[in-house]
Amino acid sequence: MTRKQRRLTMIGGAGVVLVIAAALVLNALRDSIVFFSTPQMVAEHPVPPGKRFRLGGVVETGSLQRGDKLAVSFVVADGSAKVPVSYQGILPDLFREGQGVVAEGALDAAGVFKADTVLAKHDETYMPREVADSLKKQGHWKDDYAKKPGAGSSANANAEPAAQGATQ
Amino acid sequence: MTLWFVFATMTIAAVFAVVWPLGRRGQPLREGNEVVVYKDQLAELERDAAVGLIGASEAEAAKVEIGRRLLAAAEAGQNAATMTGRTGLRRAVAILGLLGVPALSVAVYLQLGSPQIAGAPMSARPQTASAAEPIESLIAKVEAHLEKNPTDARGWNVLAPVLMRLRRYDDAARAYRNIITYGTDSAERRADLGEALTAAAGGVITADAKAEFERALALDANDAKARYFTGLAAEQDGRNADAAAIWRAMLDKAPEDAVWRPTVQAALARVSGGGQPALDANKDLSPAERNAMIQGMVERLATRLKQNGDDVEGWLRLLRAYMVLGERDKAQTALAEARQALAGNAERLKQLDAGLKSLGLDG
Amino acid sequence: MIAETGHYALVLALALALIQSLVPMIGAKLRDPALMNVARSTAVAQLLFVGASFVALVLVHVGSDFSVANVFENSHSQKPLLYKITGVWGNHEGSMLLWVAILALFGGLVAIFGSNLPLSLRAHVLAVQGWIATAFYLFILLTSNPFLRLAEVPVEGRDLNPILQDIGLAIHPPMLYLGYVGFSISFSFAVAALIEGRVDAAWARWVRPWTLMAWVFLTLGIAMGSYWAYYELGWGGWWFWDPVENASLMPWLAGTALLHSALVMEKRNALKIWTILLSILTFSLSLLGTFLVRSGVLTSVHAFATDPSRGVFILLILCLFIGGSLTLYAWRASSLKQGGLFAPISREGSLVLNNLFLTTACATVFVGTLYPLALEVLTGDKISVGAPFFNLTFGPLCVPLLLAMPFGPLLAWKRGDLLGAAQRLIAAGLLALFAVALLWAFVHGGSTLAPLAIGLAVFVIVGALVDLVERIALFRVPLGISWRRARGLPRAAWGTAFAHAGIGVALIGIVCESTWNSEYIATMKPNDSAMVGGYEFKLNGLSQRQGPNYREVFASFSVSQQGAVLGTLTPSKRSFATRGMSTSEAALMTRGVSQLYVSLGDLRADGAVAVRIYHKPWVLLIWYGPLLMAFGGLLSLSDRRLRVGAPKPAKAARALQAAE
Repeated sequence: MTRKQRRLTMIGGAGVVLVIAAALVLNALRDSIVFFSTPQMVAEHPVPPGKRFRLGGVVETGSLQRGDKLAVSFVVADGSAKVPVSYQGILPDLFREGQGVVAEGALDAAGVFKADTVLAKHDETYMPREVADSLKKQGHWKDDYAKKPGAGSSANANAEPAAQGATQ
Repeated sequence: MTLWFVFATMTIAAVFAVVWPLGRRGQPLREGNEVVVYKDQLAELERDAAVGLIGASEAEAAKVEIGRRLLAAAEAGQNAATMTGRTGLRRAVAILGLLGVPALSVAVYLQLGSPQIAGAPMSARPQTASAAEPIESLIAKVEAHLEKNPTDARGWNVLAPVLMRLRRYDDAARAYRNIITYGTDSAERRADLGEALTAAAGGVITADAKAEFERALALDANDAKARYFTGLAAEQDGRNADAAAIWRAMLDKAPEDAVWRPTVQAALARVSGGGQPALDANKDLSPAERNAMIQGMVERLATRLKQNGDDVEGWLRLLRAYMVLGERDKAQTALAEARQALAGNAERLKQLDAGLKSLGLDG
Repeated sequence: MIAETGHYALVLALALALIQSLVPMIGAKLRDPALMNVARSTAVAQLLFVGASFVALVLVHVGSDFSVANVFENSHSQKPLLYKITGVWGNHEGSMLLWVAILALFGGLVAIFGSNLPLSLRAHVLAVQGWIATAFYLFILLTSNPFLRLAEVPVEGRDLNPILQDIGLAIHPPMLYLGYVGFSISFSFAVAALIEGRVDAAWARWVRPWTLMAWVFLTLGIAMGSYWAYYELGWGGWWFWDPVENASLMPWLAGTALLHSALVMEKRNALKIWTILLSILTFSLSLLGTFLVRSGVLTSVHAFATDPSRGVFILLILCLFIGGSLTLYAWRASSLKQGGLFAPISREGSLVLNNLFLTTACATVFVGTLYPLALEVLTGDKISVGAPFFNLTFGPLCVPLLLAMPFGPLLAWKRGDLLGAAQRLIAAGLLALFAVALLWAFVHGGSTLAPLAIGLAVFVIVGALVDLVERIALFRVPLGISWRRARGLPRAAWGTAFAHAGIGVALIGIVCESTWNSEYIATMKPNDSAMVGGYEFKLNGLSQRQGPNYREVFASFSVSQQGAVLGTLTPSKRSFATRGMSTSEAALMTRGVSQLYVSLGDLRADGAVAVRIYHKPWVLLIWYGPLLMAFGGLLSLSDRRLRVGAPKPAKAARALQAAE
């Protein structure tokens, strides 16, 4: 083979692999990405039942109910809208009412979100970034969601209530 | 003093590292070259050929190729052997090392460092602590004790109010919870817990806190603190009328000498519309007088902060007061003063900035 | 006093790094040996000062000096000593200090052991190291200073995130950083070569040991991190395709490609320009990893930093170094002498194939990791790209790579004999088919692809051994001769075989764990029992105990198999008072290379507890594989032939052999 032919073989081979890889990537991107939604987005643009997505919001206080065989149900809200969620399994250590959560699954025909995963991100102030962003956008963001371990000082500074006189 | 001596020694060492190679001249330079690599490769090739990993003809061809490179490398090595020394430039670099390194280091360090603050390792703490801050070390001891004996409700009882006063609201809330879990459940403790939760949330009555106040009222419908906060919750929800009703009911039944009377009166005045004379609250103060009183308090705070500008929370309180009074200009001026007073302390500036976010006074 | 000394040492290191970035460059331009040698002494001095700075931070953490803000925020006087030390790099500021300390370490090593390097190359390499160091010193001092002080000393610290109070944390980040930062050396060598306009076979030989060292550490670091996630996060997952994990996988893939292309460059004087590009890309991916983790762009347990100014600063560093080096590459690469060509069917050709697949695989991971970020910036849509994406892209690309892997070492340089190699691999292929048939016949359940994947793994492992067998001519010549040949074999050959076999071993573990893993999730009361994977788990009871800085509830399970009691497992839930957090501590029992895994969920009011029990067959192979790979890397590294330029102790070696 001449120099040129060899080079062409190389480039051709590389091209084939790259095309295959690009096809794989595009195919996978079409089928396996999961969109993130908040209860409000679900209310505005209904998601068809069975389509997988990630639901993020705050677990409504008092909504957590435990059933048999580790079945749990709770309500995810983002201030203006609510979506009931059911899940079977062990909730992550940091799952708490009144705190942020991200669940992955799909809506059923009755409009209940059947979660197969409740994300277990480990941070005591865990407020998923997506949830925080959407809450901020809607103006529901409060500093008590945002107490970060490193920024405890900000909690201190805010602790002196403005006009309420909570500490008398 | 020792600190500066250590700094000086370190600086000298750094300068020496720059200047030292410049002073060494005329020494034969040890320099690696490629010849060794190629010789090594030849040896490896022979080994591969012996094991039969490479065919005889290929081995021969490779040998020739490496040999060619070897010769080229050897030639290049001879050509490039000339090195020049530039005395002038070396002097310039030496001066850069002598002056530049100390000047830059000291300038940067003075900007960032805090040499005036002494170290405070745990081992050195008890001696200084007993003299300067006996309460704090006491608290640490009580906390350590409770960490090991978490069921000691009496201990928590002692600790909880102290934590509140130290503004460690999260810890205080936990302490109150422990009192309720391991000790007695009472309306007062529930209300205290609610208060701690509220304080921890920056004055916002969270759902958790509200639940505690409700539990307190279930235990004792007359608990003053719980009632006051229930009113406050109503106010925060925007139900001013409800809040006013709750507080008015409190004041109606309250004994004349109740310590919380003024607080509730003030709150009632607030929800009934700031400027209007409240129904029965603040009887003895006209709006003008009350304004004067508030102004006076604000002035006093401002004066105190001018003398001692370290107090971030004081600054925030002052800013908040100006904002509430509608004096935005004064707030801006005070903010500038605060930044100036806190300029040397990044941590506090951060606190200040964090506090500002809740005030809507950014920038 | 200690804190301020550490602070000042860091500032001095910055000043020295600035000198090191400038003076040697001028010296190399003017061919002045003294000026070029400034690089050496400043690099060593920098190492000493940053080392002192790091030691100072460790000391204030150990001494619980809460006048240092960093200690106050991340430590607690009651914390066990080990975690006081590991907590130093369990937070953003401290981990960045560790990063630069390791950078200075590598710079110092080049300065100390680089006496065999051409003087101007060494000067250039160290100057480039100086640039990186300067950027990161500025980053630390200006945005993430661990030595900031508090005027009023708090009584007690805020404690370290409990999830990070673990022995895994003691090892994982330093290993990972040794890997990440180790690639800075090959980056500096590449940039130096571009500046000098000269690359040759010898250059590759100098770079390869450094790349190999970084690769070994990165391999161990990733494996360690994966094992840590497996036992600490409480649900037995060992790889999540989390962006942070991808951030460490990408440099590993690129680094692996670099390792192989440097080989071609060293042996055959070809692929020069490609190798330079790979060196730049590998370190760029390391920087990108640092950016992704440190900027707070991602939310995860690793993201200590959420301060946007830090993100912007790191982004700036990223653009400067990646953009700068790639521009330099575009400008200078064409001026480098082209290397030789070679036939597609040859050792070189197979290494090119390896590079092709590794870099493509790396690119798919890159797309999957950054696509969501890019989409959010462009359209505001929030998506997540999870495991299915990577399984669909990364997986298929690995299959041809693994199929081709055993062929590589069997092909000769220059012109290989594919048919011959295939013949020699017949045994490996037959064994693989046998394994597949066996699995199909006797093991039920799971994906039909699983036996095929295991067959591929067997092919890879046996194929790696075939190379060794061929080289020592086992069974063809008397054993004594084979033995002598085995001893005479270069250690690099052994290293290759181990590393390649390690991939197969890890693959077996991955397939077994994900296919035949059995799990049991339920609430259990004392005296309940459960059968999982042929083992019986009986919950004896729950009790409480007090740890140094936490309280824990632990359950005691007795495990038995066919009536024979094997032992007890005590998983627990710890609650840390200082942060008001709780963690689950899984309990593990190792049976051969399989593991039993029990972790606790919520405690119920009626005394029942939610439990997860797993039987994970052959799971340990997942980590034995990388250990084997790292061991292979170390063997290769110890090969004398890699330590180029050092005078050959040929006589001494011969004398030793005679004495034996």
